[in-house]
Amino acid sequence: MGDNMKKESKASRYIIPAAIFACGVTFVIIGIADKEVLTVLRKAAAICMECIGLG
Amino acid sequence: MKDIILWVFGIDESALADPVTITAIIATFVVIAAALAALIVLLVKKRFQIRRFGNKVWQRTKLITQACFFMLTNSFMIGWFKGTIYQGKLKYLCVPGMNCYSCPGAWGACPIGSLQAIFNDFDAKKSWVDQKTGTYVKVPKYWFAFYLIGLLMIIGAVCGRFVCGLLCPFGWVQDLLYKIPVKKLRLPRDEMRIANSKHPKAVRFFLGVDKYLRYAKYAFLIIMVIFLPLLVKADPWFCKYVCPSGMLLGGIPLMSMNRSLAAAAGNLTLLKLCILASLTVISLFLYRPFCRYICPLGAIYSFFNKVSLYRYGIDDASCNRAKGCAACAHACPMGVDPVRDPNSLECIRCGTCAASCPKKAIRPGFRFKTAEGNAIRTKKSK
Repeated sequence: MGDNMKKESKASRYIIPAAIFACGVTFVIIGIADKEVLTVLRKAAAICMECIGLG
Repeated sequence: MKDIILWVFGIDESALADPVTITAIIATFVVIAAALAALIVLLVKKRFQIRRFGNKVWQRTKLITQACFFMLTNSFMIGWFKGTIYQGKLKYLCVPGMNCYSCPGAWGACPIGSLQAIFNDFDAKKSWVDQKTGTYVKVPKYWFAFYLIGLLMIIGAVCGRFVCGLLCPFGWVQDLLYKIPVKKLRLPRDEMRIANSKHPKAVRFFLGVDKYLRYAKYAFLIIMVIFLPLLVKADPWFCKYVCPSGMLLGGIPLMSMNRSLAAAAGNLTLLKLCILASLTVISLFLYRPFCRYICPLGAIYSFFNKVSLYRYGIDDASCNRAKGCAACAHACPMGVDPVRDPNSLECIRCGTCAASCPKKAIRPGFRFKTAEGNAIRTKKSK
């Protein structure tokens, strides 16, 4: 039973974050393909008047 | 080499004729080299082994690391010298912390600002003019920010709120403010201590509601970062009406270097300055009020604290809690009891508890058992 508990904790310890990481990578690829990065660049490369308190 | 520099800095060849630009480029390399050198020295001196040298050394290491990361992510010196911002291709990437992309030195984009920008983007083909009211109805182009959410999932899956503890520039600013020697408002961890504390009644009331106020950052995330930009009006609501990091890192430097921008200051500027000033004052007495109650990025990363690869764990075999030791709980500046919940949503992974533990029983890292074979508990104790 001790070994089962160790195996279970090993699964949750590494597999869950690995799955989230893989999902994140997939989302990033989808986002790049969908040209969301262009929106990010367009916003970030210009002075954000709202962010600096000028509306 | 020249082409690489032009590409990285996002400038034309004609800009190299300006001596200020050349000086700024050299200064950029100097700053980056200094930051990397400092981090390498810390690494070689094993200062990142949190439990090795005690809390005093760890706090110094932490501040140096935060400073170095700020230097690395905000070393676009052309922006600082000329009062402009970086407009090159590196701004496709987001930095992990609350670092306004309108900071003159910022190389990358802010994740929260970018998230709102994606939700604000509208599809011109699907948008229409309402015949009755005459208003232009903008249909969002993206209902889900795959790129941003993906980036945050990658960072969160690796380290959770570690970004808050060691990499966020606004967190660093609050840490520096808290170091100013004035009387601190430490938050007791149980109801009896709150009732028996010697603070005035108003302060005791605040201490009691602190645990509920912590949920406010989730409200800021859902309402101001997601709901309002997506469904109400295409504005970066959080950045526009709340974010003090934008004011500190972007607004104040840019307005002080550009008269035309300063001349455009109005009521919104005043509002944001008031928010920044209030948080600055509160940060003198209370550790990281922005991170506790407001930061939507911290709210996102907190979801990953319990499942990230890098976690805090307790070696129960070494821990002296049963004998009355509570050094970690007393040391924790965020009011977390690490032994009870080592990966609390409120933990910013600053390492103070691990550095303070006399038995070195708190184990930040990637493993789930010690070298001796003892299990490291990462879940809440029952």
